[in-house]
Amino acid sequence: MNDLNAFFELKPYELAQEQKKKLLTDKLLELTKYHYAHCEQYKNILDAIGYLPDKTESYYDIPFFPVRLFKKMELLSIPREDIFKTMTSSGTTGQEVSKIYVDKETAMLQQKVMIKILSDFLGKKRIPLLVIDSPAVVKDRSLFSARGAAIIGLRILASEVVYALNEDMSLNMEAVEGFIQKHKEEKCLLFGFTFLVWQHFYMELKKRGIRYQLPEAFLMTGGGWKKLTSLKISNEQFKDSINQQFGIGHFLDHYGMVEQTGCIYAECEYGHLHASIYSDVIPRRYEDFAPCSIGEAGMLQVVSVLPRSYPGHSLLTEDEGCILGEDDCPCGRKGKYIKILGRIKSAELRGCSDVYGTAFK
Amino acid sequence: MFTEQHLSEISCLTDNKEMLSGFWDIPVKPVFDERIMGFFQGLSKKLFADPHSKEYVDVLSYAYWIRKSSLEAVRKTYSKKRDFENRIGRGTAFHVAPSNVPINFAVSFTSALLAGNICIVRISNREFPQVDIICDAIKALFREEYSDLKERLCIIRYPHNDEITELISARCDIRIIWGGNRTIQTIRKAQLPPRAVEMAFADRHSLALINGDEYMEMLQKDGGKYQRDIAEKFYTDTYYTDQNACSSPRMVVWFGSRIEEARKSFWEALSQCVHEKYRLRPIQTIDKMSLAYEFATCHPNTKIEKKDNYIVLIQPDRLDQKLMDYKGNSGSFFEYSAADMEDILPLLGKSCQTISYLGMEKQLIADLVRKHGVKGVDRIVPMGRTMELSFTWDGYDMIEAMSRIVDIF
Repeated sequence: MNDLNAFFELKPYELAQEQKKKLLTDKLLELTKYHYAHCEQYKNILDAIGYLPDKTESYYDIPFFPVRLFKKMELLSIPREDIFKTMTSSGTTGQEVSKIYVDKETAMLQQKVMIKILSDFLGKKRIPLLVIDSPAVVKDRSLFSARGAAIIGLRILASEVVYALNEDMSLNMEAVEGFIQKHKEEKCLLFGFTFLVWQHFYMELKKRGIRYQLPEAFLMTGGGWKKLTSLKISNEQFKDSINQQFGIGHFLDHYGMVEQTGCIYAECEYGHLHASIYSDVIPRRYEDFAPCSIGEAGMLQVVSVLPRSYPGHSLLTEDEGCILGEDDCPCGRKGKYIKILGRIKSAELRGCSDVYGTAFK
Repeated sequence: MFTEQHLSEISCLTDNKEMLSGFWDIPVKPVFDERIMGFFQGLSKKLFADPHSKEYVDVLSYAYWIRKSSLEAVRKTYSKKRDFENRIGRGTAFHVAPSNVPINFAVSFTSALLAGNICIVRISNREFPQVDIICDAIKALFREEYSDLKERLCIIRYPHNDEITELISARCDIRIIWGGNRTIQTIRKAQLPPRAVEMAFADRHSLALINGDEYMEMLQKDGGKYQRDIAEKFYTDTYYTDQNACSSPRMVVWFGSRIEEARKSFWEALSQCVHEKYRLRPIQTIDKMSLAYEFATCHPNTKIEKKDNYIVLIQPDRLDQKLMDYKGNSGSFFEYSAADMEDILPLLGKSCQTISYLGMEKQLIADLVRKHGVKGVDRIVPMGRTMELSFTWDGYDMIEAMSRIVDIF
């Protein structure tokens, strides 16, 4: 069993650097040994790089591998009959999708931790939820997409769930109106993937000239900045536009990935994404994977104490970001707060020419 | 033949699209024809004179390869062969050039023109400055003293269009396809006339063989200079093209009794060289790590060695045929210490192209190929020379393969 009781006794942002390091190191080392014993492919990697658990002083020393491997092979540390659900990456780019195998225990922990984290921002009381997506994304329970998984997780927090879009992604005006009129003066949560919120909610309502005043509402978004960036819409512009149209002032963007579901990095009122006690981010230098200093951009390694059914507790993402600070965000939350800079530029097909050119100059 | 629609889809880099409507009627020439030799001499001069060329080593090395004295020497070698006087072109050569190596299209038409043929060269839609430099020089020659050759060389681009490929294929006499296995399959769907020949230059892999004892001996004699010199040579073979060229080694096999000392010195010197010259990009570090780890997951007893992310060494515990299907770039190397020459036999299958060697007896490598009748290995070259241009490629003598003999009794 993945015993996280020591974590559950704490608030998600309670620990400062040294204490967090100790707690994470113990747990992640235990997971490393567990996956070594239960996942042959993982064992082969650790053997190949000559990893020695006894020499691990900090979770910074625990090996990591590229998330891409989940697209290339099936990695799991449980017998197949224990698979409770298979989660897939949204796979917006490229045809290959990640497959993450989750058992009941891991699924339960993912949900529990996500609720703990979100409660820190939204309060413990259940609140009404307007999902800016179509109900279709949660229908197929056997194969979860990242979008679906996030919605399912959030529903637990909700006193009422309404879907703002129809199955064809058109706006369900009746549902939206009903929800807004009922809850416009109380705390409620609007949730959707950033691009969907922009394209199918904001733009649609703007086109119809509909404005709202929702001073108590939270807008939670995540994922898919790439599409907005291609439309040349910045984070600030996004928030300004939403604020003007709907009077929303509470924004809760988040960073997360299907490979470490549950451990989200949520945005505080100062616009910083926070790492909870359940996970951490280590930006690394691409030349040698040495950890970056504060403020220095690097490739993001993510660690999480949740993955037990698959060896995903220490991964190298293809995202770039930096640590803005640690333990000293004005919001009062301890731990690192980070900034995501986006996806690492994919390899353009390089001929001899690029190298010829640079080598010769 | 071509409709208006087809012609509008084709863009021509040599300003002679009109030849597409009649290339099949143009007479062939004898091999190494004076006019063609003169044309390349002119092209070489123009390329050397163009200030843009200076930025591209590959353009310069092409210009060097086709300069007068170089081609004269090649002609001289051929002239000693039987039936040289009676060798003549086959007709029209349709070249489908690759998208990874910019200069390849020129290497391809050079052989074909010298063999006496008419050339239609389809180049990739990817823009390369090298292509423009060469095509501009050709256009200038066509405008000036070589207008008579304007009907013999046409360089074109067109978007994916099977009909155009079919129309050219149906009237050509030689088809030369450079590219991945999928490109070759796609192009092959277009039928050739019954007597046409085809040469396909597919994905290949290459190896480097090093004798550690020889390396150490030379190192002790010549010290740092030798160490650095070898690193530069290996760099030219590999990082220079990001290991994208088929001839770039992706596997290094060591022989001898002083392997450990030798490899340490070799990789250390390479590391220095790479740090000085190579621009590593973040995505490449992920690509390299993914490949190494992916390999390790399904090959127990593999070792992965890296000091930083510039050089990644994957050390399998044995050599097998599937090994080279793992295609790494940007400084990903398989490394193996062999007890015996025959250990490398599993790597010498059909897809093996170049063996580069250091401190090895080249004849022993050639003997191995002959003795065991392996289907791969088309070139055996000293380390540092895998990128050299040549009229022999992938086992073909390009001039002979693209010409025919008029047999006179």
